[in-house]
Amino acid sequence: MKFRLEICPDRDEEVVATVHEPNDLTEKIERLVREDAGETKLTVYSEERDMLCVLDEQDVECVFVSGGKTFVTDRDGKSYVSRLRLYALEEMLPACFIRIHKSALANQNCIDRFEVSFSGAVSVRFRSGKKEFVSRRCFAQIRRRLEKK
Amino acid sequence: MKHIKDFMMRGLMASVGGPVILALVYRSLPAQTLRVQEVCLGILTSALMAFIAGGISVLYDLEKLPLLAATFLHAAVLFADYILIYLLNGWIKPAQILLFTGIFFGGYFAVWLLVWQIIRMRVKRINRRMQG
Repeated sequence: MKFRLEICPDRDEEVVATVHEPNDLTEKIERLVREDAGETKLTVYSEERDMLCVLDEQDVECVFVSGGKTFVTDRDGKSYVSRLRLYALEEMLPACFIRIHKSALANQNCIDRFEVSFSGAVSVRFRSGKKEFVSRRCFAQIRRRLEKK
Repeated sequence: MKHIKDFMMRGLMASVGGPVILALVYRSLPAQTLRVQEVCLGILTSALMAFIAGGISVLYDLEKLPLLAATFLHAAVLFADYILIYLLNGWIKPAQILLFTGIFFGGYFAVWLLVWQIIRMRVKRINRRMQG
């Protein structure tokens, strides 16, 4: 892979990478750029402590919708409420966040393992111990994505 | 609506297989005389049986339906589909229903075990890739 730096003072700054498919390097570049722009922080509300908190997206384990609210859980299993909709968070969060069912996103870096029950249903076990089911459609997408790697 | 369309599409594609299998079965049987009505009924009902059997797989695409429920429903529909058409054509006698039921569910369970094993292997492979 080549590295090319263009210095154009009259154009908006942006980082563009041309690759065959997303990989660890593009993930790192994306994170670095987003960190630099201060886009990796998520403002969420802790109902337990009744206060607003700022979470780094890497500390987010799972995002899910329940009862019309968007919940964010961190690596310790603590739950927060986000004012953003799931689709908005999906667009905002990096590629390591994968959709596990219609109403949930999981941080791939926080997944301990996938499990299968005797009924054939697949679920995801996070490092915090939390378990969330994986829909059949999403499992097929996850499989395709991971097998490409 | 999408699922109904899928049911129809899959059913129509599978329905061709019913009469083909029937023809192969007739061909493999010892020489016998078949009445025209008997053959016509066999062709039409085997097409219908294959249509239902093919289309009903759409149940597995219904995400709202838990997998276990989808499996039971799929097995029940297939069983009803097969047994009614077999009885209608006289391919099995009422006295053989119990034997047929045993063979059907035994076979279904064997297929299910195979599918479950495949899912388990896929999950294992994904876990390995994630750790690696």
